[in-house]
Amino acid sequence: MRAARITLAVAAAAVWALTAGPVAAHFGTITPSTDIVTQEDDKTLTLEVKFIHPLERHYMEMAKPRRFGVVHAGKQTDLLGTLTAAKGKAPDQTEEFTFWTAGFQVRRPGDYLFFVEPTPYWEPAEDVFIVHYTKVCVNALGLEEGWDAPIGLETEIVPLTRPYGLWTGNLFTGQVLLKGRPVPFAEVEVEYLNASPGNPGIVQAPADAFVTQVVKADANGVFSYAMPRAGWWGFAALGEADWKLAQDGQEKGVEIGAVIWVHTRDMK
Amino acid sequence: MEVEDGTMKTLMRLGVLLAVCGLAGGTALAHKVNLFAYVESGTVHTESYFPDGRPVEKGRVTVFDSRDRLLLEGATDHQGLFSFPVPKVDDLRIVLDATMGHRNSFTLKKAEVEAGK
Repeated sequence: MRAARITLAVAAAAVWALTAGPVAAHFGTITPSTDIVTQEDDKTLTLEVKFIHPLERHYMEMAKPRRFGVVHAGKQTDLLGTLTAAKGKAPDQTEEFTFWTAGFQVRRPGDYLFFVEPTPYWEPAEDVFIVHYTKVCVNALGLEEGWDAPIGLETEIVPLTRPYGLWTGNLFTGQVLLKGRPVPFAEVEVEYLNASPGNPGIVQAPADAFVTQVVKADANGVFSYAMPRAGWWGFAALGEADWKLAQDGQEKGVEIGAVIWVHTRDMK
Repeated sequence: MEVEDGTMKTLMRLGVLLAVCGLAGGTALAHKVNLFAYVESGTVHTESYFPDGRPVEKGRVTVFDSRDRLLLEGATDHQGLFSFPVPKVDDLRIVLDATMGHRNSFTLKKAEVEAGK
């Protein structure tokens, strides 16, 4: 049993190591209007679900997701029917692209884990489909319960740092899971959302390497990154699925990503 | 000599103060109390809890109207719960007093009280 587990972990690591190389900074995103709901706040959240290049602000067309839901107090609720299509583009894009928005009424204290499983996105440039399982946590009314539990997505980043109430400069630590097991030495891409509300100025990358930060997990799939600016930060651990999808009659590989978004604020 | 006495007294007072802080200060930060309230079928339900989800037991709950008049009071049970029939259709300020001066409040808006009556 134990040997089988180790073999699986090694196989998973090998698949990750082989596929993580070509860096394309596509990110699934879910950004709520706030990461913390207090008594004084409006209890209605607005969530935006996109497929973008977060630092470069480029949109990609996003089909209606397969699943969109929330986990609260251990209970999962389907929110797919609440999604409404919207259009957006970066200032340097000529065409508008589809993204999705939803409203959500917070009624109880506790952590709300919103997640999305998108419809596979065909990327001809890389000859693969891309599926980013994306999540974000919103805390409500002072009850800090639920943020550290996995949702059970095919691949997922489980935070070891509480993923809200974070200061700029805080170290974010998470564990990469694939089918519930840690992914040793997973490569994690990190990007700042330049469109973060309150971002005082658009960040210009001085060289391409600054656009996407890259960190590697340790043998237990645990990684850390210190976030140097206020706003939304996305973490994406990418690998290849053990299943294929057909495109023009041919079987194609599927890049699966475990993505989590966290928000930081300046100390003042 | 007198000066020394004064210094000693000050030091002792400081010592007592530090001891009190040591006992109470640590928990005060980590043990913020919260109260959440909602109305359902004519009953106001309150839940009192610490951030990690543990209930606030035997917390004193007082309920005030929009003119700050005390309407009723009670105590939370071992699950941190306390409920009572809607006392008045008004803004209700519900205050939780836990041990060691930990306090928080929650305001139920008149519209919420009306809707749940």
